[in-house]
Amino acid sequence: MWEQILPGLRIKIFMTIVLGVVYPLAMTGISQLIFPKQANGSLITQNGKVIGSEIIGQSFTKPEYFHPRPSSAGSGYDPTASSGSNLGPTSAKLVRGTTKTDDKKNEVVDYDGISLRVVHFCLENGIPYESSVPLDRFKNATGDLDDVKLIKAFNDDKAPLVFTPKASIPADAVTASSSGLDPHISPASAQIQAARVAKARGISVDQANQLVARFTDNPDLGLLGEPRVNVLKLNLALDQQFPRK
Amino acid sequence: MTSIGILQIAIFLGIILACTKPLGAHMVKVFEGQRTFLHPVLRWLEVLTYKVTGIKEDVEQRWTHYTAALLSFSIFGFLLTYLLQRAQGYLPFNPQNFGTPNMPPDLAFNTATSFVTNTNWQAYSGEATMSYFVQMAALAVQNFASAAAGIAVAVALIRGFARQEKKTIGNFWADVTRATVYVLLPISIVGGLLYVSQGAIQNLKPYTEVTTVEGAKQVIAQGPVASQEAIKQLGTNGGGFFNANSSHPFENPTPLSNLLAMFLIFVIPAALTYTFGKMVGDTRQGWAIFAAFSVMFLIGVFVCYHFEQAGNPILANRGLQTAATSGQSGGNMEGKEVRFGIANSALFATVTTDASCGAVNSMHDSYTPIGGLVPLFNMMTGEVIFGGVGAGLYGILLYCILAVFIAGLMVGRTPEYLGKKIEQKEVKMAMLAVIATAFSILVFAALSSVITFPAKGYWNPQGAAIANLNNSGPHGFGEILYAYTSSTGNNGSAFAGLTVNTPWYDLTLGLAQLIGRFLFLIPLLAAAGSLVMKKKVPETAGTFPTHGPLFVGLLVGTVLIVGALTFFPALSLGPIVEHYLMQSGKLFSMLLPTLGIWS
Repeated sequence: MWEQILPGLRIKIFMTIVLGVVYPLAMTGISQLIFPKQANGSLITQNGKVIGSEIIGQSFTKPEYFHPRPSSAGSGYDPTASSGSNLGPTSAKLVRGTTKTDDKKNEVVDYDGISLRVVHFCLENGIPYESSVPLDRFKNATGDLDDVKLIKAFNDDKAPLVFTPKASIPADAVTASSSGLDPHISPASAQIQAARVAKARGISVDQANQLVARFTDNPDLGLLGEPRVNVLKLNLALDQQFPRK
Repeated sequence: MTSIGILQIAIFLGIILACTKPLGAHMVKVFEGQRTFLHPVLRWLEVLTYKVTGIKEDVEQRWTHYTAALLSFSIFGFLLTYLLQRAQGYLPFNPQNFGTPNMPPDLAFNTATSFVTNTNWQAYSGEATMSYFVQMAALAVQNFASAAAGIAVAVALIRGFARQEKKTIGNFWADVTRATVYVLLPISIVGGLLYVSQGAIQNLKPYTEVTTVEGAKQVIAQGPVASQEAIKQLGTNGGGFFNANSSHPFENPTPLSNLLAMFLIFVIPAALTYTFGKMVGDTRQGWAIFAAFSVMFLIGVFVCYHFEQAGNPILANRGLQTAATSGQSGGNMEGKEVRFGIANSALFATVTTDASCGAVNSMHDSYTPIGGLVPLFNMMTGEVIFGGVGAGLYGILLYCILAVFIAGLMVGRTPEYLGKKIEQKEVKMAMLAVIATAFSILVFAALSSVITFPAKGYWNPQGAAIANLNNSGPHGFGEILYAYTSSTGNNGSAFAGLTVNTPWYDLTLGLAQLIGRFLFLIPLLAAAGSLVMKKKVPETAGTFPTHGPLFVGLLVGTVLIVGALTFFPALSLGPIVEHYLMQSGKLFSMLLPTLGIWS
């Protein structure tokens, strides 16, 4: 019996050394030698400081930048908590959003939901829409739209708010990615955002669109995957070519 | 569906087809102990392994000894994986200082069973709980070990058919060593470097703190990813370095690395069909199985692709584009990455659940009901569509036994397969394996759907176990069903919304993994032990040929019918009813906890 069992222990320890230590360390050494940039995370440095990774998305909220997709990684684009929303197609939370009461007993947004994202995407980018209730009714004292009120209106069972864009919204622009770190947006989403970015920077829409076209990656080998725009690289190019004063 | 999407699926299957014969022939040489082109470079490592471990490569084993060796290999694998996780705070390569509290006993148990059984279920979140050393020396090693064990069992079963009037089915230790040295390791080295070239990371540095363009802080997780990624796919393991698995840009940076991942998942299971044909002396037998695999694969991938592209009508009503255009992929993009779009996400989901891989490049929990039913059903077949490394082949051979048995019943003849009479013992063993896995999936899923827990208990927070769900309604039931199906099938993919890191789910899912692995493997090894002693009966005019289209049809039918009959009631309560509710625009809110669970 022992002759069948003891080799199990010995081979396990041997494998741990060869495959668990030597193999990954050798691979690390070779990778650092041949592909140092990729092996260390394709980091981008500006003025001596690391400002991000080429292939990891980061948040952009200002109007003069192209915006990435919604993210479910931590509180948004947190690479220590990669995750999708894991909400299914019939989830009310996904479609209409949810609110919650915080420590100070204020009602705040718990999950924004796709309906609210559609509203913001339309307003930010000047997409025409129809709304069953004028959006002015959802403004707070400072004149901004109140997300909590909107989410409650979408969740109203008797007379829910119906908000219909008059142009199709690219699906990727208002849905969360799988990793929560998606560095890309679709070219369609970038083209829609170009007008807003151009206005905020005082440049022509053509200039913004030319930059989008330059930063649109075609499918790998002309065939694999989808055309896509790397948000961070595009925004860095914007800052370089059309700096804001 | 777009023509370029369909073309990508065709190209993928074409590449797999092209590699089946060369790799299959290589594995014949490896497992028959012949010299291969890799011997000049790697034979020393094989010899060194035998020397260090005291294994005699020429001593053959009966099925009982072969099984004992497999169990010993698995038990020590379990123990070491468990201990390394619990001791991670005292071990090197731990720049983030993760300690024992990050891996409590139930989570460490679940992860250890999961990596021993080739499930690689992630109840843990890699970047937030595990040191680089545990990833390398515990998890990645088990990626090699459980894959090699799977190949060994498949080869042993092949020998059961190929030999006659013998008692032994090979040497487990030699099979495992050869599978590792001549197949898994060399492909992993090449695959790992290709991964790095695409942007997968490979370093031992602490996480990088950056200040983003807009001035926010971002902490970028690092680690030895590529070396693990290669064997994770090649060994059809699937446990990700990061929580988001193969959708994380550091694990799967480009569509090209995505193709590499899917290639690595399918290449060994496909090649084993040729190895099988060659070793039993009739390559047509192997190609028949390859054909059955391909038919079932193509059905699954096109159903999944169609429904994911059709998208969610509830969201289309709110203005989202579902048709693909040149500037965006349309469809159901929730939980999918832009670079993969709909086609490569649906293809990957089908590949990873056809095989017992379980890596994901998109979140299956957010799939449309029928799009998500495809991965679920793939796993319910027992993952016999190409299948896991080794596991796919021994799984489909089980269905071959059942198929010839059913055909034999229909024409009233003693069933034969490859000249061996299929008798009571073989059919009993095959049925035992089928019933054990169905039992594990359905009973555990039913239990978790109804069980409730008292206050301050150890197992789960107070209240119903379904409070751990992330979705309610039929989709919530789908999350539970998927979890036990994935664990029993040793897949490891998930409807990941379910909070599984509680003692109740960690332990029941761990048990499901053990049942799915060992109550499947051991009956098959017993069948191999009985088959190897039989004489081959000569082929006559009355022999049912098992290499033609008729047999392929019968085999596909057997797989689908056994799967459909066993699981149709459960599926109709989950994804099927959800599909119709989604079409009618029905939404489900999480029920408010009535027992104060969160207080």
